[in-house]
Amino acid sequence: MARFAPSGPDIVTRGLASNRLGVPSIVFFGVAGAAPLTVILGAISTIYAVVGNIAVPLVYFVAALILSLFTVGFVAMSRHIVNSGAFYSYISHGLGRVTGVAAAFIALPAYAAMQIGLFGLLGVVAKGVLEASGIHTSWFVCSLVGWFLIAVLGVLWVDLSGKVLAVLLTAEITIVLIYDAIMVAHPAGGRVSTEALDPAQLLTPEVAAMLVLAIAGFVGFEATVVLSEEAKDPKRTIARATHWAVLLPGLLCGVSAWAMSVNTGSGNIVQAAKDQETDLVFALVSPYVPEALINVGYVLFLTSVFAAALAFHAAVARYQFALGRERVLPRLWGVAHPRTGAPLLGSITQSLLALGVLIVFQVTGIDPLIHLFAWGTVVGGLGVLMLMWGASAAVIAFFLRHRRRENFWRAQLAPLLAFLLLSAVLAATVIGLGDLLQVNNDSVFNWVFSAAYVVFAIVGIVWALVMRAARPDAYAGIGRGAEQRVIPEGAGLPVSHALPRTADVVRHS
Amino acid sequence: MLANSYYLIAHDDRTGRSRLHPRAAGLGLASALLGELMLYGRLRAMTGDLYVVSQEPPGDSLAHTVLDLLIAQPQHREIRTWLAYLAADATDQVGERLLRAGVVEPVTRRKLLSASQTLYLPQTAEQRNTAAWESIRLSEALAHRRSMGLHDRSLIALVVATGLTRHVFAGVQEQRECMRQLPAIMASLPDDLVQLVQYTEAAVGSALAVGRR
Repeated sequence: MARFAPSGPDIVTRGLASNRLGVPSIVFFGVAGAAPLTVILGAISTIYAVVGNIAVPLVYFVAALILSLFTVGFVAMSRHIVNSGAFYSYISHGLGRVTGVAAAFIALPAYAAMQIGLFGLLGVVAKGVLEASGIHTSWFVCSLVGWFLIAVLGVLWVDLSGKVLAVLLTAEITIVLIYDAIMVAHPAGGRVSTEALDPAQLLTPEVAAMLVLAIAGFVGFEATVVLSEEAKDPKRTIARATHWAVLLPGLLCGVSAWAMSVNTGSGNIVQAAKDQETDLVFALVSPYVPEALINVGYVLFLTSVFAAALAFHAAVARYQFALGRERVLPRLWGVAHPRTGAPLLGSITQSLLALGVLIVFQVTGIDPLIHLFAWGTVVGGLGVLMLMWGASAAVIAFFLRHRRRENFWRAQLAPLLAFLLLSAVLAATVIGLGDLLQVNNDSVFNWVFSAAYVVFAIVGIVWALVMRAARPDAYAGIGRGAEQRVIPEGAGLPVSHALPRTADVVRHS
Repeated sequence: MLANSYYLIAHDDRTGRSRLHPRAAGLGLASALLGELMLYGRLRAMTGDLYVVSQEPPGDSLAHTVLDLLIAQPQHREIRTWLAYLAADATDQVGERLLRAGVVEPVTRRKLLSASQTLYLPQTAEQRNTAAWESIRLSEALAHRRSMGLHDRSLIALVVATGLTRHVFAGVQEQRECMRQLPAIMASLPDDLVQLVQYTEAAVGSALAVGRR
């Protein structure tokens, strides 16, 4: 405690803490991007239909456990670096700046692919909702309306406020729990089966590859550490909130996926998912609930997908902004609107990219649900998995150099286990990508996406080397945020790696 | 006084609304308050930390309050910490000071579904002239390459660091001129103020990057 106020935190600490966030706010911030209803109604039924494997619930539980393990070291490291922003900053701290830029170049297309994929889902869902109320239109028109709204909100930087998100999220979780209870209460053949949860399935390569799909459903949980400087107690609040942000959606998705297979019987779930697509859950529960509850579900589904697309849009724009600010991208990307703080160019870039992709899909007549949403999620998930894998390696390397008062479990054992598990998942995903995308064995899509990421990484490495030669000052700041450029390196200063100077006083932004 | 000038530039003289993101405006004002103490010779910055070099009370009551806080809380040294702490109520504090100086009047706005808000804005023609003069003075001085006092040079550095450039220098030509002269202006500032400005710029960037309101 501070020397001058033995009875508690001093006036400055208290003043700074008054505006700070507790665990629930941070969990909301992290989970909002994941939008459970989007994952449960959109992703799970699509995974059942596209991959055709019944191990979906198990996969969610296992993914949650792996990510929870990963979180241990990740959060521990976040306490020791200043710019606790995105995965690439961890990688640049742990594995060096060149690797960091390579990671950033993987992150950009990965998050962009996921966000654009959501437009496919948004279009299909909106079309379904409109059709139910008698308006017939194409998915493209619906996607375009959603695209326009998100493009405008993105430039104006209108976030759905925390309260709106909290209400939506609570409503979503409530309705999911109701649906789950109904599905489990009406099992196929009158018997609740746990066949889908048999851990032996994990040993098949296809199931291991499916983990990437589950992991894609958690994307956004790492956003919690961004708020570490705004948390009440950066040490405990962030760690708890991040674990919650992983376990809560993991449990919810796993239980829901299991409930679906219980209701149809595990032999029929795949066919049912193929027939009903994203209407699967609604079709399953509709015999047992009043119609109003179904309609509420559809509306919440739509708002959930929209909120997810908006959150991802903001995340992508912010990522480009952060890179522009560190001058990895041209400086223009690092310019924010002075009053709203909107990262203008990042927002516009992502919107134009999305528009281009949507038009290509419309012109070529490709299926928006499978080839836009599912593929976008798989491909984006692969990139995010690579980032997590890199980050888990970075955590090990970071604590190998210095333990920094973290215990053995947090600094070494948990990161090592997470790294090994993520390596296995990544290997399985790269090998089994063709199965996930449901393409033929001789198709170019078996390897082209993995290869594309490798190319992006190489471009990133080359770019980092160019930066090191041409702009050493900017190079020194990679992954350090703008703050780090201020502090002269060396000179015995506890720059980024030190414990806060007053070790017992909360670090402030 | 630095913070007064900055306040008048950072707020619209008709609506009283901040021309910046509210958090950025708060950080800019906090920085201006610390800058005042540096100009008074009470405060110095070294490697990101603040040090009180003279405890003699400055003539202004708000500056005195800030100095007292810095003296009473020596366990907090980092510029980042003090910027974040002072930013919380800097807008009201400086607004009150402008009110005491007779440069603005308080106007209470009622907002739907939230607490009423007191804005400080110039009301009379004379007050408006005073407010507008802050921007005009800077832009004229730069346009004619007049030599400026330490106060105005610090002000320009803060204006640029927090992203107010286009509100002070209306034309593209003028903005370009400002950017051309900025390195020389920064080089002419004492090292303490340069550090303060750099930390302010970084803090504003971080506040915007998190994107939370």
